[in-house]
Amino acid sequence: MFKKIPLAEGVHLHIRHTTQFKTVNFSIKWRTALTTQCASERTVLTNVLQHSNAKYPTTAAFRSYLDDLYGTVLYFDTSKRGNEHVVLMNVETVNDQYLADANVLNKVLDVMQTAIFQPNLENGAFKNDIVQREKKMVIQRIESIFDDKARFAQQRLQQILRPDEPASISANGTVEDIQQITAQSLFATYQSMLANDTIDIYVAGDINEEEMVEKLRTVLPFTDRTPAVIPAVLPQQHPQKDYVREQHDMKQGKLHVGFSTPVYFGDADFTKMQVFNGVFGGYPHAKLFMNVREKESLAYYASSIYASHYGLIFVVSGIEPKNEEKALTLIKEQLTAIQAGDISDLELEQTKAMLTNQLKEALDSARGQIEIFDQYKELPEPFTVETWVKKWQAVTKEDIVDMAKQVQLEAVYFLCGKEQSAQ
Amino acid sequence: MKTIDFKQLDETLYYEKLANGLDVYILPKKGFSKAFVTFTTKYGSVDRTFIPIGETESVTVPDGIAHFLEHKMFEKEDGDVFQKFSEYGASANAFTSFTRTAYLFSATDHLYKSAETLLNFVQEPYFTEATVNKEKGIIGQEITMYDDQPDWRLYFGTIENMYHTHPVKIDIAGTIESIDGITAEHLYTCYNTFYHPSNMLLFVIGAIDPEEMMAFIKENQAKKTFPNPTPIQRFFDDEPKEVAVKERTLHMDVQKPKLSIGLKAKNTNLSGRAMLKHELSVQIALELIFGRTSAFYERVYENGLVDETYAFDFTLENGFGFAMIGSDTTEPQALEKAIKEELAKYDREVSFDSDGLERIKRKKIGFFLRALNSIEFIANQFTRYSFNDMNLFDVVPVLEELTIADLQQAFTTIQGESQQTVFTILPTEKNTQ
Repeated sequence: MFKKIPLAEGVHLHIRHTTQFKTVNFSIKWRTALTTQCASERTVLTNVLQHSNAKYPTTAAFRSYLDDLYGTVLYFDTSKRGNEHVVLMNVETVNDQYLADANVLNKVLDVMQTAIFQPNLENGAFKNDIVQREKKMVIQRIESIFDDKARFAQQRLQQILRPDEPASISANGTVEDIQQITAQSLFATYQSMLANDTIDIYVAGDINEEEMVEKLRTVLPFTDRTPAVIPAVLPQQHPQKDYVREQHDMKQGKLHVGFSTPVYFGDADFTKMQVFNGVFGGYPHAKLFMNVREKESLAYYASSIYASHYGLIFVVSGIEPKNEEKALTLIKEQLTAIQAGDISDLELEQTKAMLTNQLKEALDSARGQIEIFDQYKELPEPFTVETWVKKWQAVTKEDIVDMAKQVQLEAVYFLCGKEQSAQ
Repeated sequence: MKTIDFKQLDETLYYEKLANGLDVYILPKKGFSKAFVTFTTKYGSVDRTFIPIGETESVTVPDGIAHFLEHKMFEKEDGDVFQKFSEYGASANAFTSFTRTAYLFSATDHLYKSAETLLNFVQEPYFTEATVNKEKGIIGQEITMYDDQPDWRLYFGTIENMYHTHPVKIDIAGTIESIDGITAEHLYTCYNTFYHPSNMLLFVIGAIDPEEMMAFIKENQAKKTFPNPTPIQRFFDDEPKEVAVKERTLHMDVQKPKLSIGLKAKNTNLSGRAMLKHELSVQIALELIFGRTSAFYERVYENGLVDETYAFDFTLENGFGFAMIGSDTTEPQALEKAIKEELAKYDREVSFDSDGLERIKRKKIGFFLRALNSIEFIANQFTRYSFNDMNLFDVVPVLEELTIADLQQAFTTIQGESQQTVFTILPTEKNTQ
C-alpha cells in the first residue's frame, strides 16, 4: 500500500500515490517510550510548536499564512500506543490541480520545515511567556475531563485497573509533571525528540513519488539515530480494589467494567479475540446492545471496547443509578453465555461482516490509510485487507468460546450522583 | 435521469424526481470502496404543530416526537433492523435535527441488499403501544445522558434564552415527561404526514454505478403505493426579533465556568442562492471578527480569557437563526465584556478588511475542497442545502462573488444589543452541609 523508503537510520518515509482524494496528506510521527514525564513535556511542546515559530512569531501570523494556502491544515498532537508515546504533525492541503495558484504544495512543504526546524526562541530556549501559557492550556485540557462524566469514568477505571502503567497514563501527561516544565527543559525535550526518536513520515495523495521523496529529503533533514528499544508489554499489576463507587453531582450513572485478556494486538489469537469482542459488545447486533438496551431498556448505550495493545476489554454503559446491580448482572451474563457456547451462526456471520466492512471503510480516507498502515506495519507479514478478512473468516464458535474463557472481570467502576446509589 | 457535471471539481451528479415525488441524487466517487446512502425527511423537532395528512384541523404533538419516531422506525414485527444491516456488513445509523430526520448506512459489500433494507424499513412503519412504551426507558437514558453534558446544556440554554415561542428552544429529544405522553397513534400521525416520498430525499454516493442504482431505486419505489402528495402545513407562533431572556446562569458539576453569547438573527425567511450568500457572508464576518487570526482572538487568548474550547458558529434555517461565541473561562464576566465590546465596534464605523476577506475566502474554498473527500459530508450537507433550495456545489462560485458590502449587510442581521443573550455555567458550590 505504502512504499517504504529509508531516509536515515531510524527514519522512514512511507509514500503512496493515489488519485482518490482531492488533497495531499502528510503525517510525521515521533516515537519514544511512554512515561508521564515525557507525555507531559511533549504535549506542551506540541502546543508551543503549534503556537508560532521564528518565521511566523504570532499565532495570527502563522494561521493567516496557512489560511492563505487555501486553509492548509497543520496541527501537532500527541497520542499513545502500547508502551509508546507518539508526537504527530498532520498536514493536509488541497491538490494544486483544483486551485488557481499552482505552487501551494511547495509552499506547504516549506511551512512544514519552518514549523519543525525553526522554533520561536529567545536566549537559547523557547519563549518563556508562550511556554507558561501553553502549560496552562494543557493543564486545563487535562482538568476538563472532569466535566465529561463518561470520559472521567473511563479514565478512573483505567487507573484502577493498571495504576501507573502505560494503560492508564494519559498521552497529555499529568498536571504535576507539567508544572515542573521550564522553557529550558522543553527545549532539551525538543532537541532530543528531533535527534533521537524513531520517525515515520507518511505521504498520501496525487503526487509524483520521485519528486516528493527528493523534496522531503531536503525539507526534513533528519539524521541517523539509534532508536530506543521499547519493551512490547510491561508486566501486569492487578487492581488493588475490584469495585469502586464514586459520586459527582450528576443524574445518570456511568457503569464501566474492566476485563483482562492475555491476547494482545498481533498475537496468534488476536483476530479471534476481535471476533469475540464483536459478538460481546462491539456492534448494534451484539449481546450487550441487544440485551442491556433493546431487551431490558436499561440504557441508551452499552458496548465493549477491545484495547488490544493493553490486553484489556472495557464495557461502558449509562444507566439509571438504581439499576446498577441489574445492569452489572446482565453484563456478566452476556460473557457467561458466550463462555457456554451461546453464539448463533448469525451473530458470528454478522460480526465477521462488520469487522471486514469497518476495515475497508477506514481505508476510504487518507488519514485512515495512514493510521491503519502505521499500526499494522509492526507485524511480520505485510498488511492486506484480504489476509485479515481471511483470518476473521477462519474463526469458529469454538474459538470464541475459548477466547471468552480467557476473559476475566478485574474491576468495576460506578460513577453516579450524590445519594443516588442503591447501596 | 439528469446529469450535472462539475468540471472544475471533477464530479458528476445524477438526479431524478420519481413519480411519487421522491428526489433521488447519485454521486459516484472514483477510487472509493464504500457506498454511503442517506434517506432523509424534511421533518425535525421544530415541526410540532401541523395539519395531519388528510385532515383539516391542526394538532400539536408531544415534544421530542420526531426523535422518538426515528428510534421506533428501527423496530419491526420481526425484530431489529440493525440485525439485518449487520448481516450485510453495513453500518447503519440515524439522527434527528431541528429540521431533518435522516436514516443512513455505509457499506463495502451487499450494497443493494442494504439499500433495499433502508428503503423498506423507512417506508414500512410498525408501531405498537408495547414497543412504544419499551422505548421510553432507552430514550429516557439518552435524555439523562445529555442532561449531564455541560456543553449541550450551554448550547441549549443559549437557544432557550433567545427564543420566546419558536420550538427550536425545545430539546430535540424532548423531556422525560413529554415523551411519556407519546402513543403509537401519535407516531402514525407524524409518520403519515412527514414521511411521504414528496417530502424526502435519497442521496447515494461512493462506489456506485449510477444507472444501475437509479433503476433499482425506481423499481423499489414503483412497487409501493402512496397517497397523492399534498403540501404540508406547519404552524409557528409569531417570534419577536428580540431575545427572550438577556442572561441566565446554571450551576453544574464542572471544573471551570463556561460562557456562551448568543446573537439572534433577524432575517430568517431566506432560501435558495440568497440564503447561501447570506449564510456565507455572516460566517466570514464572524471569522474576521472572532476567528483565530483576529486581533480579538489574539488578545483574549494571550490574556488567558479563553482556552482551547473557544469556538464560534452560525446556524441558519427557515424560521430561526443564531450565532454563538463561547469558551470555558475562569473569568466569564471579563470575557462577556470583551466579546460585547468587540461587537459594539462594528455597530460604529469599523469596517471589514478586504485582505482579510480574500484570505478567508481562500480558507473556505480549501475547506470545501477538502470536505469533498468525505462522502458523509457531501450526502448530509447536500441534503440540508437542498431542503433550503440551495445547491452545495454553488459554495465556491458564491464565495468568489462575495464583497465587503455583502458582509456588512449580512452582519447587520445579528447586530444590536437587543439580539444578544448570555448563558453561563458555573461550578456547583462545594459542600455547604
